[in-house]
Amino acid sequence: MNGAPDLELDTAWMGRMGEWGTTVRPGKRGLTLEDIRIGGYGELPEESDNMSGRPRGAAERPEAFRIGGYTVRSKREIWLENATFLYEEALQRQWSSATDIPWETIEPLPDDIEEAECALCTFFNEVEFVAGDVPARWVANISPDFFEARNVLLAQVQDEARHMDVFRKRALANGGGLTRVTGATSGFVGGIDLSRDFTEMSSRMHVSGEGAVLSMFRMGELVGQNPAEKRMYRLCAQDEARHVAFGIMHLRYLHATAPDRHEEIEAYLDEAENLSLTGGTNPAGPQAETSEALAILLGGGKQHYDEGFRILLAIRKRQLKEYMQRVKSAGFGERFENGRSPVPGRIAALC
Amino acid sequence: MTQASRVKKLTDSVSHIEVSPPRLQWMGHSRQWGTRVKKGEHGLRLGDLNVGIYGEIPQHWEDQSRRPRGAADLPGMPPLPYHLRSKHQLWADSAADLYEEAIQHRWIPATDIPWSELSPLPDDVERAMCQVLTELMQAANAELESITYWQEQMSYGYHEVKQFLAVAALTCARHIDAFRKRCLANGGGLGLESRGRMNRAILESRGGWTEAVVYIYLLRGFHVQNQYRLLLAHAHNAAEREIFANCLADHSRHMSYALDHLKYAITQQASQAAIIQTLLSLGESTLARDIQEPVQRSALAIVFGGGVEGGRQEGMATWRAMVRQSIHDYLDACEWLGIKRNMIQRRLNALLPPDEQLVPTERG
Ligand SMILES: [Fe+2]
Ligand SMILES: [Fe+2]
Repeated sequence: MNGAPDLELDTAWMGRMGEWGTTVRPGKRGLTLEDIRIGGYGELPEESDNMSGRPRGAAERPEAFRIGGYTVRSKREIWLENATFLYEEALQRQWSSATDIPWETIEPLPDDIEEAECALCTFFNEVEFVAGDVPARWVANISPDFFEARNVLLAQVQDEARHMDVFRKRALANGGGLTRVTGATSGFVGGIDLSRDFTEMSSRMHVSGEGAVLSMFRMGELVGQNPAEKRMYRLCAQDEARHVAFGIMHLRYLHATAPDRHEEIEAYLDEAENLSLTGGTNPAGPQAETSEALAILLGGGKQHYDEGFRILLAIRKRQLKEYMQRVKSAGFGERFENGRSPVPGRIAALC
Repeated sequence: MTQASRVKKLTDSVSHIEVSPPRLQWMGHSRQWGTRVKKGEHGLRLGDLNVGIYGEIPQHWEDQSRRPRGAADLPGMPPLPYHLRSKHQLWADSAADLYEEAIQHRWIPATDIPWSELSPLPDDVERAMCQVLTELMQAANAELESITYWQEQMSYGYHEVKQFLAVAALTCARHIDAFRKRCLANGGGLGLESRGRMNRAILESRGGWTEAVVYIYLLRGFHVQNQYRLLLAHAHNAAEREIFANCLADHSRHMSYALDHLKYAITQQASQAAIIQTLLSLGESTLARDIQEPVQRSALAIVFGGGVEGGRQEGMATWRAMVRQSIHDYLDACEWLGIKRNMIQRRLNALLPPDEQLVPTERG
């Protein structure tokens, strides 16, 4: 070829590959990421020095560029024991808001109920993608040596896009439209958005924020006015449970591997218990406008507001109890016994 | 338990608590009461929602809160770091439909690939496959790291694009997942990491998302697409066929968004075409070096030629034809976009057959 570069076949690289001779067979759940964690490919470094973005286990090139710029390079800062399970489950349980919701079952509702549903949907449109934006921001900062954990976050980003989407669809499907935003997730210091540490962010977002939303979604049978809404909450709850599980399992790993950070984590939990659980990011929280909308939906109209509000109080109690369970399972349960946490007192006040 | 008894059980313990009357300040804010979007033949799709005020997509969206498009504002909220707030920086009309399409086309590496169809390959072919896939894993990794870096900075006014890219990032992770599984399932392992010149160009595109799109998709995208196409044609078994067919469909969707966005950006911004030209003049050399890089080039030729022996002639010929196709696809896309490439960078030009070469520039 005229002027073409000399393109001989090179085979020298065949002697410079990663560990060789790996044969993994699919199991009952197919070929999962857990199945391929074998030999050197399953070994995770405590500290990752991978700055070129190579897949874990690939052979290094000394001349590769340090293009990763990763800031999360310690296993304890990001890891959780069941990342592969959560990722594979996320792929198995994807759904479509276009075709998996029986939209045709939505019938016109009384104005107050429609407006309450739309206020709730507007709120979820506003906050669902906090949990999309923020994990996305972290993904490119995490060493790909911990790609299993990264994959769970990426699946979450997609889940949240779908949540934002399903609630927008509901708001525009039955006459109400979007209402006014609450501003609950603005740029407040101490909020989920602005955390500079991954675990700080995760404890706020996954454990307290999404935990409260999960408890609420699980009451979707009571909140939803028709099969479409009930299904919407059920499917979102399924996804939310994985997001919360990420946070708990990560906290549990950190608890076991980083005793020097216990007190710092306790401080985040203090903040969460005094702010996120009671403030505007919890749709059923005492300071959230959406609590009123929820009470209307739960009671079945403005005229049954008191009745609805009492169901809401029961939901709050449940949120708090489930929160305690989660924190205990992450290893930080002592705070509920030693008087540090205000949560047991709040539960008692609701009894 | 019936709903009524469930409610009674729930509220028994709180029945004594006094309930204060609601303030209802959140009521009366819908800006378009009466909106009733019905589902169509393909369900209720994101794009269907763009009716009335909900379909008004402004040129600039200064609001740095999470106010969904069409919702009423709440003034006084501290801003969030949404840096991409102009439509020309990210928009593509096709984003909503591509989002729904991506959601529908979900495949699962663990269970949708017939892994049991894999069977041992000659050592040189297995090594070449594993090397090719290692390189493609890193390309997908650079793509997803770039997408996630930009996506979260995009303002809420253009949620269709944010949502499409949210799915696109997971799609890249799924490709990496499938390639890794393929490498570790058939007696091989991973290869040598990428030299990564284009990956660097992509990750260092920090000036704007449009500029990153130029490198990921317009410049490098056709090369990746044609590799998938040829790997599909040379698949050794049903498992590989399924993997590459899925990757090809996914990647084509990403390319559709990218070209649609670039076309929009160029029509909206007077200086955009010239900026893209400059980026391409610099980037073509980088791409050409990556394409010619001996490890990936040889590994592809060995796969296409069915072994080292076949790789020398037949494999290299297929590789040359593939590179030629990629460059033509790229030049065609530039022409469609209205970006002049009648002079291309010398190294890239040299990869075309002599009678198809354009006037080269000496740059790079
Ligand atoms: Fe969500
Ligand atoms: Fe979530």
